[in-house]
Amino acid sequence: MSQDQVDILKRALDREKKARKAAEKILEEKSRELYLTSQKLENLLDEKSSQLQGVFENIVDAYVVMNLNGHVLKFNEAATRLFGYDVDRDDVNIVNLIYKEDYQYAITCFMDLQANGFFKDYETRIYTKSKEVKWVHVNGSIVYDKNKNPIAAQGIVRDITAEKASEEKLIESENRLSTLILNLDSGIVLEDENRNIVLTNKKFCDLFNIEAQPSDLIGKDCVTSSQKNKVLFKDPAAFIKRMQAIDKAKKIVIGDELEMVDGKILERNYMPITIGEKSKGFLWTFTDVTLKRTYRKSLEVQKQKYYNIIANMNLGLVEVNNNDEILMINQSFTEMSGYSEVEVKGKKAAEIFSAEGGTEIIKEENKKRQKGQSNSYEFTAICKKGKTRHWLISGAPNYNLEGEKIGSIGIHLDITELKELELQKEKLLLKLERSNDELQEYAHIVSHDLKSPLRSIDALVNWLKEDNKGKLDDISLKNFSLIEATLEKMEQLISDVLDYSSIGTDTNIKAEVNLNKLLTDLTTILYIPNHISVKILNQLPVIKGDATKLQQLFQNLISNAVKFIDKEVGLIIIDFEDLKSHYKFIIKDNGIGIDKQFHDKIFKIFHALNKSKDSTGIGLSIVKKIVDLHEGQIWLESEPKVGTTFYFTLKK
Amino acid sequence: MNNMLKVLLIEDDAIEVMKLNRVISTLKLNHKIIEANNGEDALEILQQKDSLPDIILLDLNMPKINGIEFLGILKNDDNLKYIPTIILTTSNNQKDLLECYKIGVAGYVLKPLKYEDYVSKIESLLAYWSINELIKG
Repeated sequence: MSQDQVDILKRALDREKKARKAAEKILEEKSRELYLTSQKLENLLDEKSSQLQGVFENIVDAYVVMNLNGHVLKFNEAATRLFGYDVDRDDVNIVNLIYKEDYQYAITCFMDLQANGFFKDYETRIYTKSKEVKWVHVNGSIVYDKNKNPIAAQGIVRDITAEKASEEKLIESENRLSTLILNLDSGIVLEDENRNIVLTNKKFCDLFNIEAQPSDLIGKDCVTSSQKNKVLFKDPAAFIKRMQAIDKAKKIVIGDELEMVDGKILERNYMPITIGEKSKGFLWTFTDVTLKRTYRKSLEVQKQKYYNIIANMNLGLVEVNNNDEILMINQSFTEMSGYSEVEVKGKKAAEIFSAEGGTEIIKEENKKRQKGQSNSYEFTAICKKGKTRHWLISGAPNYNLEGEKIGSIGIHLDITELKELELQKEKLLLKLERSNDELQEYAHIVSHDLKSPLRSIDALVNWLKEDNKGKLDDISLKNFSLIEATLEKMEQLISDVLDYSSIGTDTNIKAEVNLNKLLTDLTTILYIPNHISVKILNQLPVIKGDATKLQQLFQNLISNAVKFIDKEVGLIIIDFEDLKSHYKFIIKDNGIGIDKQFHDKIFKIFHALNKSKDSTGIGLSIVKKIVDLHEGQIWLESEPKVGTTFYFTLKK
Repeated sequence: MNNMLKVLLIEDDAIEVMKLNRVISTLKLNHKIIEANNGEDALEILQQKDSLPDIILLDLNMPKINGIEFLGILKNDDNLKYIPTIILTTSNNQKDLLECYKIGVAGYVLKPLKYEDYVSKIESLLAYWSINELIKG
């Protein structure tokens, strides 16, 4: 081995040593570098995983991990808070958390999850542990192992209960708003920048006589429509011109008035709607202000109308304040009283017009007005000329707008003429009563004066007979007895006339009269021959009436029957029927009867059918008068030679 | 017929007076009839307090003071009011009848039409009063 060779080998060895050293150094560097890198990576991983852990732990929304059977493996803090379960202690299955009604929807979502590996924006209701229902929003996905096998599912669950509620509220208020707009008393048109209708309402259609639903107008072009509608306005050209001007300016306009052909007056407002800088359209509103504009005018007309009525009515009107001071009188009252308005204004009504004692009446009436009472009363007034007039006053309290009593209003009607008639009537009645009494008295005196001479004649005839006993022949004696019979007839006539005139003038008190007793008494008083019997078929009633007159009534009819019975066996039947408001009496005889043609005449005074010694022709007139007095009727049925039945009714 | 009656007849009708007198004489009664043609005369007669009548027969319808007025005067007099007064009249006016009894009468007799009836009525009337005890003087 040569030095050279050794040298070469040495050199080669040195080179190799140096190379190895360099390589070692590189390796050392590299390994150090690698260490640092792995160190770095490890840190990074730690960092990342802790970062991830933090994300899951501190995420605002709930984070849920479950196995494929729905069994919950992990809840983050938010999930624990949301659901109320602690997964470390509680055994939770998602299926039990799903709101009953949303179950089907949940199944669909779960199938989506299995098919696609994820689902998004699943909104549903869930039960919490405390059985509270909450609205949640869920995004979910499947978790796979390294071999791509699904092993679990995870989901982010957000509580959207509050959002849902406010969403509903929003819908509700939107509904309310649109209902409000639809039913607004103003016509509304909301148009976009292109002047197409976005929204309108019923009132708008009504105001412009559009026969369509508001919804049908959406999208219609307002420019075309207004050209069509302009004819509705009194000045169509001006309407269009003004509209174009407003549209061009796009500035708020309030209170334009439009006169329509049919007399309506519309108020038009224009409002551009901008949100931020952006124009959202233009709102036109139309309000019918016809009534408002014409109100004052019609009020004036009405006022004038009533003023005219008040001024021209034939009734005097006086308005006074609380102190009875006159505020206003109308034309009629001026004529009634003779005073002009200037003469009486501010003066006390009672002092000007009252006759004696009138002030007191007014004072009393004013008290009633203070209490809010209205009424009518009569008042004796002295008019300007000093004449006494009678007024009928209808007074009513007068109130101001606040409902306070500020006086009263009296309507005056001059009833002087009526009043005079009334007084006259009263006087006449009094006079009539007096003259009736006088007449009655007179009848008695006359009857007395007529009867007295009859007594004298009878006495004188008797004395003549006595003093000439035995000296008078038969004819003279017969003539004397004719004189006596004539006297008797005269006496009866006078009595009957007196009776007839007495009925109706005597206002005897009505009393209960037992007709059974009355008739029993009567049959003993009356002369009833043996061949005539009186039969009372039924128990007679007790009626209200004048006993004396009722007796006379039965007496006259029975004695009439007795008088005219010509049969060998006479029969008088008395009966009665109970009618609703009256009693009907029947007195039947088997006498000579009365011919039909005399049925009405017999009740007339002095109309005796048979001029006989004991018939004056007044008896039935008296009967009729008594029946009339008892508000009844009398009639008869009769057959000549067979008999007569008298019927009469007496009021109960 | 125990008592002889002193009867004051107040009657304006002459024949009526005659009638009563005739009854007295026909029936042979010894009553004394004092006649007065009207109320005024009667009052004058009644002034003589020492010879007052036992009874008074009074007609109602008379001129000047009528019967009822007379009756009133009579009943207002402390002495005269005790004299029984019988109304003798043709008037059967209910009002008069009531009024008379109200003021105070001892009887109310209607003059009948028939003279015979008159005779018997007067006979009964006088017979009744003649058996009565009367305030004499």
